[in-house]
Amino acid sequence: MNFTITRQNLHNGLAAVSASIPSKTTLPVLSNILFEAKEDAVWMSGTDLDVAVRVKVPADVKELGRLTAPGKKLQEITRELPEQPVEVATRGEQIELKCGRSNFKLNGLPADEFPSLAEVDFSEGWTVTGKDVNGLIHHTTFAVSTEESRPILNGVLWELREGSMRMVATNGHRLARMGVPAESGGAPSADFIVPPGALQHVQRLFKDDDTIEVARSGNHLGFRADSTEVYTRLIEGTYPNYDQVIPRDNDKVATIDKKALESAVRRMAVVASDQTHRIRLKFEPGRVHLNVLTPDLGEGHDELEIGYEGEELEIGFNANYLLEVLRYMPTDEVDVAFKAPERAVTIEPSGDNDIDYLCLVMPLRLLD
Amino acid sequence: MARRIQVLPDVVANQIAAGEVVERPASVVKELVENALDARASRVEVAIERGGKRRIRVSDDGVGMGREDALLCMDRHATSKIAAAGDLQGIRTFGFRGEALPSIAAVSRLTLDTRDAEEEVGTRVLVDGGQINSVEDLPRRRGTTVEVRNLFYNAPARAKFLKSVSAETRVISEAMTGLALANPQVTFMLTSDDRSLLDLPAVDDAAARVGQVWGADQSSTLILASHSENGFDLKGLVQRPDAAKPGVRRSYLFVNGRPFRAPQLVKAAERGYRTTIPEGVRPWMFFYLQVPKGHVDVNVHPAKAEVRFKEWPLIEMLVEDAVRSALEGEESSATFDTQLAAPPLVVREGSTGPVAPSPDTQMALFMAGAEVPHEAEDPNGAAAAPELEPGATRARLWQVLHTYILAETRDGILIVDQHSAHERVLFQRLMDSFERGGEVGQRLLFPLTIRLTQTEVEAVVDLEGLLERAGFEVEPFGGDTVIVHAVPNPHRYFDAERAFREMIEELTHGSELVRSAKNQHERIAMTFACKGAIKAGQKLSGAEMQELFDELFATDLPHHDVHGRPTIVRLSKGELARKFGRT
Repeated sequence: MNFTITRQNLHNGLAAVSASIPSKTTLPVLSNILFEAKEDAVWMSGTDLDVAVRVKVPADVKELGRLTAPGKKLQEITRELPEQPVEVATRGEQIELKCGRSNFKLNGLPADEFPSLAEVDFSEGWTVTGKDVNGLIHHTTFAVSTEESRPILNGVLWELREGSMRMVATNGHRLARMGVPAESGGAPSADFIVPPGALQHVQRLFKDDDTIEVARSGNHLGFRADSTEVYTRLIEGTYPNYDQVIPRDNDKVATIDKKALESAVRRMAVVASDQTHRIRLKFEPGRVHLNVLTPDLGEGHDELEIGYEGEELEIGFNANYLLEVLRYMPTDEVDVAFKAPERAVTIEPSGDNDIDYLCLVMPLRLLD
Repeated sequence: MARRIQVLPDVVANQIAAGEVVERPASVVKELVENALDARASRVEVAIERGGKRRIRVSDDGVGMGREDALLCMDRHATSKIAAAGDLQGIRTFGFRGEALPSIAAVSRLTLDTRDAEEEVGTRVLVDGGQINSVEDLPRRRGTTVEVRNLFYNAPARAKFLKSVSAETRVISEAMTGLALANPQVTFMLTSDDRSLLDLPAVDDAAARVGQVWGADQSSTLILASHSENGFDLKGLVQRPDAAKPGVRRSYLFVNGRPFRAPQLVKAAERGYRTTIPEGVRPWMFFYLQVPKGHVDVNVHPAKAEVRFKEWPLIEMLVEDAVRSALEGEESSATFDTQLAAPPLVVREGSTGPVAPSPDTQMALFMAGAEVPHEAEDPNGAAAAPELEPGATRARLWQVLHTYILAETRDGILIVDQHSAHERVLFQRLMDSFERGGEVGQRLLFPLTIRLTQTEVEAVVDLEGLLERAGFEVEPFGGDTVIVHAVPNPHRYFDAERAFREMIEELTHGSELVRSAKNQHERIAMTFACKGAIKAGQKLSGAEMQELFDELFATDLPHHDVHGRPTIVRLSKGELARKFGRT
């Protein structure tokens, strides 16, 4: 293997791939990046066995070949190199970098030891825009569960349908669901449960104007645009029937200024219990009262003027859950809908728009 | 007509009294040693032969007696210690009934050698079965020596009830040990058939005396426990929970310097230990109680083993609180240190007169010690967090093996077990919220459907109200199924279903932990803490570690988890230096 590459291209390629390299591993080859020199370009790959990232970088290839070399060290060296062409070559099991007068040889490992990436046939799949996918990821991934007893909830449900697609995430205490219209291009409907880590790579590597091909092979999912590929293991199992628990009969709706509510909740959260983060919202016509009372600490009270005509109702919330949800709401005003103190509360963007976004927060039980 | 009723001759009266006071050789030793201490001896030597059956010899370097006193003391109720009934209220001396010597003399062959500072020559009084046989001059130094031979030679019925030589020896040694612990500033020697059983040179404080008796490795497991209230002053040494073992318990109680027995105070101390030691473990304890004049009645029993307090509940609370607050401090945590100094505890200065040093001087004595705890207790009762490395606003924390948290303190390293620590946090939090009505439950989007055994379902129904106040909203669903609609949310890795299942299993089938709880609230709080706490093996972020660390030190007993295991093990810079050969 022998190729010449600009420092910038080498740097970009390494940056894209090395984020997928595990920081600690018992399998030494996983700390390495796989270089594959092909006719007109070099492919670089990295993986932690769950997610793999593969990018194509332009280079002047003189001799084809494959080798793995330590990713972090290459990235650190490249960062310090002058803006000059870099010549990369194999010397036995070593990789050699020459750039101006700088010369490095690093110990590598044979390419055969590198795990083979999932083989995905992109001819049978879906096509989506970077903008749509990134938007869904951004608005839902925060809600996945961090608790590991139900692995299904550690993933994001991605539903691909004729004419639309949706992502849903929940930890059983709150839920985020977003949908966008999408042309399936005749591909069949499908449900995937995708680890959030993989989706973060997708969000990081694909630009809004990218056209992304998505295809499945066994329990792997592949994403591909021009020069970038992301592969991930899928979480197996059946996602709980979330649709059934989203209330349709929340007949009391308050329209609230998002920023005002956010900052009031944040103020209340200061005095809320470190463990439960419980605050109380009491809705009454035209007004919401925010209250917090924490034994051993103290209490707080605030109120906001809101659009609400329903009857008086008090609901307890984990302030953190409310703040998270509000952070991702894309409009200046939000509609908070509820029915009873122990029932699920939904929060949606308010006003005349076609944003299909719904967040749900389960209340905290109030004890008096 | 002949008179039926006769006044008993003194000899007979004394023999009867002896039946109460002199039960066995150990009672002789106890009475004579107490006399020596009342005579302000600085050194008491006891020699026994054949378990005291053949010979008991007690010598002291106390004030001694003149000839007149030496003769008078053989009369019953002759005492130098009180003069009128009113004096009984404020007894500060061991003896006062004036019974001891005549009673002993009545049932043995007794030699009394004594001289006080004013006489030029000493006196020897020989008594045989209560009859003074001779009084002669004797050259000797100041002090008193009493030799008792052939105990019970004239009371064969009593002699028959004596136990074996080794058993009597053991009881004597035990009695001497109690007196020696009460008076560390006095030298005590005990030899039995020329073999030395106790050799305890005078020391400054009680912990040093414990070390002399049972070894420094035992005394170094002790920490100070003290508490004062309404003029009642308790100073004590109790064992660190991690050092407490099942088996023989050493528990010694002293009131105004007098050993006494009180199982209810040992129980009170155990209440203080609650949740910090496992079931069946018996921590050592040494309590020195000073009570105001008139609040203790030691005249309950001639042998004075039992005493009567006017305010039992107050004394019990004093003991419980002293133990509890000792366990709040860092000194009570487990440690890797091998060379710990026992905490100095001065218990009695001089053997007569008003004894308790003023609180100020006593405090000064603590402060002057080399190994005094460096942080004072928080005024509102919460244990103070250890002082961290100066300059660091937050503790520098490292997670090791995803199980332990390492923190650098001014004096070395703390190793915190994350699961144990979180158990303590959750236990206290739930106990606190029980008092306020209950824990907050997070309603679930997907309620948990849980199948249990029939007995478990019954337990859930029984406990429903309490489970609800712990944050679990449970609804029986018929048959062996329950539905859980709301759960507590103690941390982001909390597995509610598993915690609930395990809690119910433990509550239904019992466990050591469940048995150690004193009531249902504690039972629920303990099982919830145990099942709900962050597990070993859970990777934590820096912020999570910091939060856990802060929460732990906000609890009352940060150093001990609810199973009676340590949450924290200390490694001091001194010990590190020793390990690296820097000393």
